[in-house]
Amino acid sequence: MLAELLTQVTAIIVVLLVGFVPVCIGRRRLRATRREWRDRMREAAPVAGVVLVVLLANRFTRQRLPDISWAIDWNLTPTFYAIEGEAIIWFQQFASPLVTQYFSFVYIYGYVFILVFPVIAYFALSDTRPLRELLSAYALNYLIGLFLYLLVIAYGPRNIMPTAIETVLYDFRPQYQYLTQEVNHNTNVFPSLHTSLSATIAIFAYRTRDEYPIWFAVAVPLAASIAVSTMYLGIHWAIDVVAGIALAVGTVYAADRFVGRWSLSEDFGIEIDEYVDRIRRTAGMRTPADPSPSADDEYGEADGTDVEDPSSDEPSTGQRS
Amino acid sequence: MDRIQRLITGAASDQLSITILTLPTDNDRQAIKIARQLEENLKAVGINVRIEPRADAELLQTVLLEHDFDCYISRHPGGYDPDFLYETFHSKFAPEAGWQNPYGFVDTELDKLLERQRSTTGSEREEAIGEALDRLAQTHPIVPICVPDERRLVRTDRFAGWNDHHLGTRLGYLGLEPDENDFEDEVVLNAVITDSSPSRNINPLAAAYRYRGPFVDLLYDSVATRDDDELRPWLAESWEWDESVATITLRSNCLFHDGEPVTADDVKFTYDLLDDTSLGDRDGQSPAPRYRGVGDAVESVTAVDDRTVRMRFGTSDEVGELAFTVPILPKHIWKTAVEDRLENGAEPIQGTWDLVTTEEIPPIGSGPFALTEQEPRSHLRFERFDDHFTRRGYVDLPEPRVDEIAFHVEPNSSAAVDQLEAGNADVTGTILGSETVGDVPDGLELVESESWTFYHIGFNVRNSPFSNLHFRRNVARLIDRESLVADVFNEQASPTVTPVTGEWVPDDLEWDGSAPYAPFFRDETNSGDTGELDIERAKREFERHGFQYDEDGEYIVRS
Repeated sequence: MLAELLTQVTAIIVVLLVGFVPVCIGRRRLRATRREWRDRMREAAPVAGVVLVVLLANRFTRQRLPDISWAIDWNLTPTFYAIEGEAIIWFQQFASPLVTQYFSFVYIYGYVFILVFPVIAYFALSDTRPLRELLSAYALNYLIGLFLYLLVIAYGPRNIMPTAIETVLYDFRPQYQYLTQEVNHNTNVFPSLHTSLSATIAIFAYRTRDEYPIWFAVAVPLAASIAVSTMYLGIHWAIDVVAGIALAVGTVYAADRFVGRWSLSEDFGIEIDEYVDRIRRTAGMRTPADPSPSADDEYGEADGTDVEDPSSDEPSTGQRS
Repeated sequence: MDRIQRLITGAASDQLSITILTLPTDNDRQAIKIARQLEENLKAVGINVRIEPRADAELLQTVLLEHDFDCYISRHPGGYDPDFLYETFHSKFAPEAGWQNPYGFVDTELDKLLERQRSTTGSEREEAIGEALDRLAQTHPIVPICVPDERRLVRTDRFAGWNDHHLGTRLGYLGLEPDENDFEDEVVLNAVITDSSPSRNINPLAAAYRYRGPFVDLLYDSVATRDDDELRPWLAESWEWDESVATITLRSNCLFHDGEPVTADDVKFTYDLLDDTSLGDRDGQSPAPRYRGVGDAVESVTAVDDRTVRMRFGTSDEVGELAFTVPILPKHIWKTAVEDRLENGAEPIQGTWDLVTTEEIPPIGSGPFALTEQEPRSHLRFERFDDHFTRRGYVDLPEPRVDEIAFHVEPNSSAAVDQLEAGNADVTGTILGSETVGDVPDGLELVESESWTFYHIGFNVRNSPFSNLHFRRNVARLIDRESLVADVFNEQASPTVTPVTGEWVPDDLEWDGSAPYAPFFRDETNSGDTGELDIERAKREFERHGFQYDEDGEYIVRS
């Protein structure tokens, strides 16, 4: 059942991307990306690695996290309920099958799309700073989110209002719970990571509105829809959504400060090129005779493709930007 | 400030406030609905309410082991024999942690009746039970609400025999006949459960994780097994009674899953361990947080020879035999487990020390299935134990016919039914919530079993305000069982005022539309509708018993 759902999600996201990428990013940028992707990869690799580590850490601790949370036993569900009561029921007045269809689509597919698209879009920019900032913001959102999930036990409104919400996602689409429980546990609703990540992306979309005006026009309403969907579908409290927005603002600010502050080679003495090289050698792959030419030459040689002038607008990995 | 607080939380700072613990919608939609209904009525009479949802094991942990609650709403496992009342309400268990008297209830008159039903038989016992139930109905340590129908869905295309035995017991999973054509080599029975507890901890003594399901009984044998209304010899070949002394003959050549023989010594050890989980290491005893009532009936156990056990009981034979259903634990594993812990400096604190909470003691029993895999919050796998005595040709008992049973944890009842419909599972191992059983989907069959479980409100009578009998009674009078059964259970439950079911319910406590000692404050003027609370009358009753209202008469002031 899970595999089926994953295939479905992947298929729909691919369709959306195929339609959206050319329109929004444009041929010129895609062509440049084909030429420069290795440089950009190398620049984004450290922060992408961090994101990967955070995701894997979540993956492997997910089943154990609730035990630790229950040991701490800081159950905020009654507090949230006491503060906002049945506030999110307000959205029920707009309930209709069409609206429900829209919000459940947005909650599942819209969310995955909004996460994936900007990674591609910013990768297509010759300046990798937005990409690195975005990825750092992802990692920060996740890290802080996980920490709060660990610290706080909070069930969502659907778990305390069994009848008041007619549009609980898992009531009419129980299968979606397989999908979401792969990522999260039902005691982890504070803050709403759906909201915080969407809001983060919306803020970035605003900043890159000159480069991607269409994306800006899409991302902001989509992010707002995702935030509303979490409440409409009974998954999150309004408090979770507010906390999600606060988290988004905080992480964007932090990502701004952090990105470019450290450099792997200067601050930590890690030379990615050397590592790549070493890995290649141990893997017995064909390596260039001279291990220390400029990175572009090395890659260019290895793949035999034509590399354009590398001294473009790009700062290299070693430099602070 | 006061106003702001009222605005935010809906409660005044000096208002009486109570916390209701219950299960979230995912775990038990009915329990949270009852809690919400009670919340509404309590607020109407001026008592502020905090509802705190907790997951299955975490709720039990707080209530049974920590006694840290005002009141809670959930399902009680009940019992096929009313002797479970002894364990549940006798005052001598009030200080202990575990399934024994979690309410802290102390009533010497009830104690006498509970003791009397243990030493008498026939109509005398029936009478004692009737009186005990009557006493309970007047003293309200708990408010029984209803007995839900026990329903499970099964697929009939791969296995037959679903209706032969109760699916909440070990026999339900034995004797199932696989359709050989459907399986190429391994016969795997897939069950879906909605309670993750067994996947997290399978320790037979861990009170917070042991509530329902056949898991422990598949893994461990007991001297006898319950089959409908009778107790049949299981690990015992037979037993004989002589004046409160039972001489039990064990079956020959039974083995634990690790190949060690099952002997009379293991049986004796098990009852000794239940009595004192520190095995006499300390002066005080540390009785197990489970099987306390039946263990308490056992006065002494002697291993006469390898296959003969002599047990002396302080109760009637009828009650004594209930002790034959506890899981027999391997001495060679558990004795070491106790000793290791004590050597490492563990204090054998009753009910909560490591031995009776850990999941780390090897889950080795002698039962028809051995545990092969356990993934917390995901699944459990059992493999048939080929050396089990039921596999012997001459033993006339249902035997395990499947190679493997896998229990998969599902997020809720609807998801569990989906898995059956999709053909991924053969049976819903846990009882279905009443929201999921409407029309039975094609290819599935509904199995109804006798039910002993009941929904109830449990009060912690150690603390104010539930230490006050009048307060408990007035809260009980806010419960409208009939409207709950209709609205919350879709009529798939029967209202009850007693914690026992069936023929044990005395005539005067049979449900007749109203609770005898604590009738709902029904608004009689509002004759058209049922379920209307007479708020003014309820408030007057609280006031009459010394609960003061604020000057506007809106809320009860905390004393």
